[in-house]
Amino acid sequence: MQAFPKKPASPTNATPVEYTEKNLTTQSYLPEIFKGLGVSMKHFFANTRDMVKGQRPDPVLERYSAGVSTISYPEQKRPYPERFRGVHRLTHRDDGSPRCVACLCCSTACPAQCIFIEAGEYPEGDKRRGYERFPVRFVIDELRCIFCGYCVEACPCDAIRMDTGVHAVPYDSRDQFIYDKTALMGFTGRDGGHVTQNPRHEPGEAGHPGVDREHGH
Amino acid sequence: MPTFKLDGKEIPFEPGDSIIRAAWKQGIEVPHYCWHPGLSAPANCRMCLVEIKPPEGQRGVMLDIVEWDEKNQRYENKRKPKLLPSCQMQAVENQEVLAETSPHVLEARKYVQEALLLNHPVDCPICDQAGECKLQDYWLEHQGTKKRMREEPIHKPKGVVFGDTIVYDGERCVMCTRCIRFMDEVAKDPVLEMRERGNLNEIMVAPGRKLEGNYTFMVEHVCPVGALTTKDFRFKARVWFLRSAKSVCQGCATGCNAHLDFDPRYNKAYRYRPRDNEAVNKFWMCDPGMMSYHRATEGRVVSAYVKGKTSSVKKALDEAKSLLASVPASSVAVLFSAQHSQEDNWALRELAATFMGASNLYVTGLPDGFEDNILIHHDKNPNRAGVMRLSSAIKPFEDFAKDVARGAITHVIALGGETPAEVDLSNVQIVTVAAYEGALTKAAKVVLPATSWAEASGTYVNAKGMAQVADKALEPQGLSEPGWKLLAALGQALGYDCTWAKLREVRERLEPAAPATTATAPASELAK
Repeated sequence: MQAFPKKPASPTNATPVEYTEKNLTTQSYLPEIFKGLGVSMKHFFANTRDMVKGQRPDPVLERYSAGVSTISYPEQKRPYPERFRGVHRLTHRDDGSPRCVACLCCSTACPAQCIFIEAGEYPEGDKRRGYERFPVRFVIDELRCIFCGYCVEACPCDAIRMDTGVHAVPYDSRDQFIYDKTALMGFTGRDGGHVTQNPRHEPGEAGHPGVDREHGH
Repeated sequence: MPTFKLDGKEIPFEPGDSIIRAAWKQGIEVPHYCWHPGLSAPANCRMCLVEIKPPEGQRGVMLDIVEWDEKNQRYENKRKPKLLPSCQMQAVENQEVLAETSPHVLEARKYVQEALLLNHPVDCPICDQAGECKLQDYWLEHQGTKKRMREEPIHKPKGVVFGDTIVYDGERCVMCTRCIRFMDEVAKDPVLEMRERGNLNEIMVAPGRKLEGNYTFMVEHVCPVGALTTKDFRFKARVWFLRSAKSVCQGCATGCNAHLDFDPRYNKAYRYRPRDNEAVNKFWMCDPGMMSYHRATEGRVVSAYVKGKTSSVKKALDEAKSLLASVPASSVAVLFSAQHSQEDNWALRELAATFMGASNLYVTGLPDGFEDNILIHHDKNPNRAGVMRLSSAIKPFEDFAKDVARGAITHVIALGGETPAEVDLSNVQIVTVAAYEGALTKAAKVVLPATSWAEASGTYVNAKGMAQVADKALEPQGLSEPGWKLLAALGQALGYDCTWAKLREVRERLEPAAPATTATAPASELAK
């Protein structure tokens, strides 16, 4: 017995390559060059005609229609679909504080583990003290984020949303992708506002679960 | 042992046991809020209702009820057996008890659960109990329906500060009165009480008092819901991110069994939870003990030091070698540490007494402190009994101080950094393997960083002489390594044949100590 038996010879199942016949026409390449130029010129004239006429294909269906299919990004941008998941934003309450109650449901749901939250208690005397907590730090690593939207699904307060309509921006260093609370609260929704349409009750208002005996209704 | 039947299964019981306790001892959980194995049974949550079959030839108590008949589309007169709380019914021989197998019991659980949740705020996302809450568990197991009440729930005080450690939320409370009974029966300080009745019920601190003493954390521990939270853990972490290690409290010589909950992502300990052990701490721990998990990160030695400057472990070992190489064994003192595990102390004894032949053996540790007759021991060291077991020649720390003052000692090989008393160490050359900073690490020429109890598995012998193992929770911080490993390295640097390299080898060579006691509670209760 050999310790390392010889490899069996590989079967000859290769297909022989067919070469085109070598003659003056193929060796000079000229006919093929003019053929290729012809294709380019056809598109050049067609596109020039479209531009002069002001015809632009539908950006969604562009690949199926003729015409200029390039855009001058970033001056021109493609419209994103209605439910496009862009970078996150933290929605505001009426008084400008974040709606987030730092429950960590989003970071629990996050498969990329890109959300870090440090919860804190409202200071003594604040009407929300005892009822709620708030995020002292809220950090999203947009490099780790896979834009799955689970955080939005998980949020019980409609506090985190991905409706900014902005895609993840390229930066020149990694730390710029770490969005903190201020950055996240700075983004607006597509409507330009910081709030959401879903109602929210504050302590002391009717319907808020934390109305106590003194502040009943 | 007499037995009774629970759902057809034979359950042995001690005379006097309630049904729920006998089942609990067998690891069967009857759903409950107010019953706790360490407290009395008030039977006020009504969650543990069971159906008890009447003895042969007798009639059971039946209730007349009306029930909606789906088929005939009208209410019909029916009868159903009277259900009884299993926490108050004593087990009787050959009695037949139905719990899971009785449709009446399952129905009762469902409606009790619904009633308990009527005025509950359902603020689980911001509740610290979420993830280990009985309301959540039993809702999933026994109710599973949406709330039917459309009225505004009753509102009660929230965020009430009960004392320096505990915050109370009246809306989450299910009025099980476990906290009241704990303060009454175990802490012997009846400072909590109940006011109002029905759905206005709430827990309050006796007027003019606040919740204080050495057992306030246990009030939170017995709370089956999120009504009582500790200021220490409040809002710090979500429990589903935490992992538990079976640990032993290092606060005193009682050696309470505990779960050390930590977050492996940040390598950080967040809290202790008592681990049930009837033989040691029953179900409880004291406040200083509960807070002692902070020592996993506070005051630690995380780097090797040579003459007060940080260095690598290798350089520190070289320095220790040159310091100890040509010193006669008679002038070397060996300081065992009651703070360190039995493994570390054993390694020191092997190195110093067996290999070096040193005969000046002493023990160090933390000074004595407060004690009570519940759990707290005056000796604040977890392993003094274990150290004393290693050699009969080990002398107390006072002798060490005297011998140092006398000049009989020039060199010290020590475990640990703390000393029970002030002592002038300026005339001795100290090499110490320490997990915590203290007088010894300050005075030492060479400090080697040992792991704390949280970072390596270790055996600790409590005041009763029980050897208990604390499992590893956290990863070692900085350069720290288990003490026995560093002592083996130190021995090898000094040219001795210290061959132990694995924890298993050390454990095998340790004298057989008293067997580690095991927890007696079923897994269901341990999970709280």
